Amino acid sequence: MRGKSLGLAMGVAMALGWPAGAGHAEALKIGIIESLSGAQTSTGRLFATAAQYVVNDINKNGGFNGAPIEIIEYDNAGGTTGAADKFKQAVADGVHVVLQGASSAIAGQVTEDVRKHNIRNPGNEVMFINLGAEALELTGDKCHFYHFRFTTTAPMRVNALVNAMKKAGDLGKRVYAINQNYSWGRDMEDATKAAAKTGGYEVVETVLHEVNKIQDFAPFVAKIKTANPDTVITGNWSNDLLLLMKATGDAGLKVRFATTFLDQVGNIANGGQTVLGHYIAHPYNIEADDKGFPEAYKAATGHLPVYIEPQTVNAIRTLGKALKGVDFKGGEVSVTEIAKALEKASIETAIGPVSVRAEDHQAILPVVVSKVVENPKYPVDGTKLGFGVVETIPGPKAIYPVQGSCKMDRPS
Amino acid sequence: MHRRPRIPRAKAQPMEFLIISALNGVIYGLLLFMVSSGLTLIFGMMGVLNFAHASFYMLGAYIAYTIATTVDFWLGLLVAPILVGLLGIFIERYLLRRVHSHGHAHELLLTFGLAFIFEELIKLFYGDFPVNYAMPDYLRFAGFTIYGTDYPFYRLFIGFVAVAMFITLYLLLSRTRAGLVVRAAERLPAIAESLGHNVPFVFMGVFGTGAAFAGLAGAVAGAFFPTNPNMALELGVIVFVVVVVGGLGSLEGSLVASLLIGLFSSFAVGLDWSLAGLLSWVGLGDWARSVGGVFTLTLSSISGTVPFLLMLIVLLVRPAGLMGERN
Repeated sequence: MRGKSLGLAMGVAMALGWPAGAGHAEALKIGIIESLSGAQTSTGRLFATAAQYVVNDINKNGGFNGAPIEIIEYDNAGGTTGAADKFKQAVADGVHVVLQGASSAIAGQVTEDVRKHNIRNPGNEVMFINLGAEALELTGDKCHFYHFRFTTTAPMRVNALVNAMKKAGDLGKRVYAINQNYSWGRDMEDATKAAAKTGGYEVVETVLHEVNKIQDFAPFVAKIKTANPDTVITGNWSNDLLLLMKATGDAGLKVRFATTFLDQVGNIANGGQTVLGHYIAHPYNIEADDKGFPEAYKAATGHLPVYIEPQTVNAIRTLGKALKGVDFKGGEVSVTEIAKALEKASIETAIGPVSVRAEDHQAILPVVVSKVVENPKYPVDGTKLGFGVVETIPGPKAIYPVQGSCKMDRPS
Repeated sequence: MHRRPRIPRAKAQPMEFLIISALNGVIYGLLLFMVSSGLTLIFGMMGVLNFAHASFYMLGAYIAYTIATTVDFWLGLLVAPILVGLLGIFIERYLLRRVHSHGHAHELLLTFGLAFIFEELIKLFYGDFPVNYAMPDYLRFAGFTIYGTDYPFYRLFIGFVAVAMFITLYLLLSRTRAGLVVRAAERLPAIAESLGHNVPFVFMGVFGTGAAFAGLAGAVAGAFFPTNPNMALELGVIVFVVVVVGGLGSLEGSLVASLLIGLFSSFAVGLDWSLAGLLSWVGLGDWARSVGGVFTLTLSSISGTVPFLLMLIVLLVRPAGLMGERN
C-alpha cells in the first residue's frame, strides 16, 4: 500500500516536471561474473576485490552520471553453464558492464553471450571487460566491439621471457614446452615455437597434458629429462605448475623454468627453495612499482596487491578514465558511448602506460620479466623469497600484431 | 652461469624408460591405494558409498599441517589420523546412523553434502590458497640415484606407509578375532547380533578406521603434494575409479587397481602413441596426420583419462570389478 502511494507520488512529481534529483539518475551497474565458489574461488575472489577497490575510489570522487556506480557479484560456480545463467540474471538486473577473468573457457562463453545479446538488443548493449582470460581467440576469431581485454596473451609473455632470459644468458639453446591441453596451453606452445628464431633456440619437444587432473608429474619429468633441455617454458597454473616444478626439483633435474603464473598466491611458499632462480613474465611486479599504489591498496583491502589484482585495478581505472570522457547528464547510460571512450582511454602507472588497441580491443600494457630471488623488498607468502625485476618491457614493445581473424563490426 | 657438459641427445633408452616409469607408477599407485583403502573398507563392510572420503583425506592434511607448523611433523602424522578417525566415528554415530534406515541413497546424499561442508569450512579457516605444508628438511634427500635422476626419499616413504597400511588391514581383517566379527557383522548382521555382538558399534569402528586411514594418507601425502581446499576434489574422482575398478569392497582389488592405474598413467606419459602412428603400420599414417584431430592426439596428452578408460573396460568385461565378489 505504502509502496504504491510512493510510486504514485513520484509519478505525479515526474509528470509535473520536477527536476530529477541526484537519486533519480541512472547509475552505472557493473556485474562481476566470477568463480566465487568451487575450485577457482581463490582467483575469482581476487578479481572481485580489486574491482571493488577501484569502484569505491570512483564513488568517493562523485561516482558517475550523478550516482554511485553499483557493483553486483554473480557466482558462476566455475563453469560456463553457471556463467551463461548468471549473464541472463545480470541483464535482467540492468547491468551495463560485465567483468570476468578466471578461465578462458568461461570468458569464451561470456563474450559470445554479450555479442548475441547486443545483436538482439540494439540500443541496450552490454560490454564485457575481460580481466584475465588470455586465449588469443578472444581478440581473434571471437573479437567484437563490446569486448575489451586488459591482460597479456601468450605471445606477449613468451616473447618477453625469451628476450630477457637470452640477454641474461639463462635461456640456453634447447627449450622444452609443456602446457595444458586447452586454448591457453596451445597458445603458449605456438608462441614458444614462434619465438624460437629470435631466441636462437631449438624446441626439443612439446607436450600437452590435461588441465589439473594429474597428481603425479614424475613421469613428465622423466620425459623432460630424456629431451635434455636447458629451459622449460610452461603456461601451467595452479597445481599443474606447482607439481611440475616440485617434481623436477625432487628429481634433481637442473633446468630453468620460464613461467607465466608462478605469482599465484601460495606457489612460492609451496615450492620453497625449488622455485628459486626461475623466471616469470607477468603484467605487474610490486618491486617495479613505487610505494603509492601498493600501500593504498593494502590500507583499503588489508593486503598488498597480488597476482591478477593489479591488472584488474588498471582495467577498472582505464574504465574510470573513459567514464570521465562521456556525460549523459544524469540521463540514460549508453554503453556504446562508453565503449567508444574506452577505446581512446589510457592511464599512467608506475610501470608504464596502459591503453587499448582500437583494432581488436587488446590492451597495450607493460610486461615485467622477473626472477625468484631471496630477500627482495616485498617477500611473498611469508617466505624470504620474492620476485626480483629482470626487465620491464613497455607496452608498445610487448604487443603483438593484430590477428587477421579479428573482424570487428563497429557501431556507426 | 651454469654450464653442464653437453650430453649427446639421449633418445629414451628403453631400459631407463621402463625402470623409471615403473617406479613412478608403483609409487603413485600406492598413494592412490592409501587414500582408497579406507573407502573400500567402508563400502565393503557397511555398504556405504562415502562421498566425503576424500574430504577426510583433506582434513588429515590440514590437521597435520597445523600440528607440523606449531609442534612437530611426526606428531602431526600421529594425531591427524586419530582426530579424523574420531570425526568419522562422530559422523557415523550421529549422522549416518540416523539416515541408515532410509536406505543407501540417503547415506550417499548425506556424505555428498558433508563433502561440500568440509570444503567450505577449510576455506573459511585456512583461506582459499594452498597452505605451506612441507616435509621437514632432513627428509628432503634423494633415496637413490638412477640414470642420473634423484629419486626422492619421501616418495619411497609414501610407498612404505601404503604397504604397511595394506598389510595391517589385511592381517586385521583375515587373521584376528576382531576381523572375524567385522566380517560376520557385514555378511549376516542379524545373526552376529543374536550371538551377542554389538553390530552398530562394529560399524562405527569400521567407519572410524576408514576415515583415520584417509586422514593418515592426507597427512603423509599432503606434505608432498600441495595442500589446498581443492585436494579432495582433485583426488576424489580418481579414488572412486580405483574402488570401482578393483571391485567395490575388495581390499586386494583396490591394491591391484591402484597399481594398475599408477602404472598405466605413468607409461602413457612416456609413450607418444597416436592413432596416426597405429595407422602408419598399414600405410595410412600420412593420411591420418593430414586429417589431424583425434588421429594425432598423443597418448601422453590424455594420460589423465587413462584411469577412466580402464574403468570403462573393466566395467564392460567384469561389471563387479577386478576382484569384486558379484561377478
